[in-house]
Amino acid sequence: MHSLLQLFSVPLRQILSTLSSEIQRQVQEIRVRERRPLEVGWGVHYSFVSAAGGLCDNPVQAYVPSREDCSILLENLTQHSLYSFEEELRRGYITIDGGHRVGLAGRTVLEQGKVKLLKDVASFNIRIAREHQGTGNKVLPYLMDDLSRSVHHTLVVSPPQQGKTTLIRDLARLISSGPAVPGAERLERGYKVGIVDERSEVAACVRGIPRFNLGPRTDVLDACPKAEGMMMMIRSMSPEVLIVDEVGRPEDAAAIREALHAGIRVIATAHGSDMDDLRKRPVLQDLIEENVFSRIVVLHGRLGAGTLEGVYNARGERLSPALGSREAAAPHLHGAGESVSLRKRPGGFTAGSAPLDWTGNAAFGRSKAEGESERC
Amino acid sequence: MLKLLGAMLILLAFTLFGFYQAHQFARRPKQIAELIRSIQRLETEITYGFTPLPQALLKVAEACPPPVGALFRNAAEALAKDGCRSVQQIWQEAIHNQWQHTSMKKGEQDIIRQLGFTLGLSDSTDQVKHLRLAIQQLQGEMDGAQEDRKRYESMWRSLGLLMGALLVILMY
Repeated sequence: MHSLLQLFSVPLRQILSTLSSEIQRQVQEIRVRERRPLEVGWGVHYSFVSAAGGLCDNPVQAYVPSREDCSILLENLTQHSLYSFEEELRRGYITIDGGHRVGLAGRTVLEQGKVKLLKDVASFNIRIAREHQGTGNKVLPYLMDDLSRSVHHTLVVSPPQQGKTTLIRDLARLISSGPAVPGAERLERGYKVGIVDERSEVAACVRGIPRFNLGPRTDVLDACPKAEGMMMMIRSMSPEVLIVDEVGRPEDAAAIREALHAGIRVIATAHGSDMDDLRKRPVLQDLIEENVFSRIVVLHGRLGAGTLEGVYNARGERLSPALGSREAAAPHLHGAGESVSLRKRPGGFTAGSAPLDWTGNAAFGRSKAEGESERC
Repeated sequence: MLKLLGAMLILLAFTLFGFYQAHQFARRPKQIAELIRSIQRLETEITYGFTPLPQALLKVAEACPPPVGALFRNAAEALAKDGCRSVQQIWQEAIHNQWQHTSMKKGEQDIIRQLGFTLGLSDSTDQVKHLRLAIQQLQGEMDGAQEDRKRYESMWRSLGLLMGALLVILMY
């Protein structure tokens, strides 16, 4: 939050620093609209920021950012150089240091019917990203493939905003780091991970460099269409594990099959509420019927964002963490594994739906997880 | 004896003043040329490198001798350090601080000031247009400056001495 304040003009900075530290910690969105009330989203609430300081619900009392506030904000976001952010302005968002993303709206300039760039930017949505390391600790033991000494082909399924992206980001970190980091002790070694990040959400790259910790062996292809990017990665970077967000188009499926034949493990995500949902979607249905994915991780939000509902194998059978692993006792050796084996008993549905503790802090767990899922 | 010393001093002072004026006329076209080269460099940084403005200005400053380089350096440092002022303000301030160290005149200053209103605020094609326009205008100023140099440089060189001599004669 502190580094973010540097972006704002002096009056905005002063107004925002009047917010209590409790709120500053929970802020997920700062919405700056030229000549309209300043709004912040924190926890699950939205409030205006009063001109006198603090929050208020009445837009009349709110601070109204001036034209100058907005132009300084835009200049700071683009490092005073709009010309070097043409691509970002065409896409409508800028990723800044810290992995935060700033959505922009204004007047578009068209060229041959396509958006060329954004002009007169008057609305900013600053979405604060928080990294939740450790989310993958409980899922990774399910994905171990001892036969091939690697990880299983995995599909992560959940409705929007339930932490798919957060989960695969952390899986990338664990798989790439290998047994050196807590949570990934059971990996034989760290693997080369390739991430195709079509919407710059997984890695939040700034000038090609990921702003999140994705482990030491991770390469990111930023803002690249998935299908094409996966092929590029396979050809050029020889990844051992390929991670992609939001598959669903026929060409994605073709690229996944290609990766399979190249001996690369694929971890992908898809929208959907459960296994049945997946079977209704044409492309995913094919992939599942071909038994492409040997692990399917389902998240849902019934007990708060990012709850692990279960992990299934290719036949749709629910797995206990001991399955798919010859060392049934192994999870007990480690803190993270232990909680998995205690909570996830096959059949015990509610007992098995332990919330993934994104933060390690119960007090903030819920709201932070939702903040993260905002990015999904 | 004292009178002679005074006369010598006056003569020396006027001669130096004349040389200083001549020097100013000689430096002006050189500095305008440096300015033009710097802006061309900036254009390259913007169109091919897409370098953000603070770094681009710093690179330009490094390749350009002072006092013209100091103008860009001043602006680049202020941009990198200060998050709450616009390029426009910082640019005007840099001109205000650094212009007195140059031999350039109001015409060039206005052109550079104008440039500050658009620098960094549009896409690269538009930036190039503004930079090219500034270069063109500076070229015009340069022609004038060279003419002035031809006309006044040697004149001031001798004029200082002559004025000093006149004053000494009048006083004697």
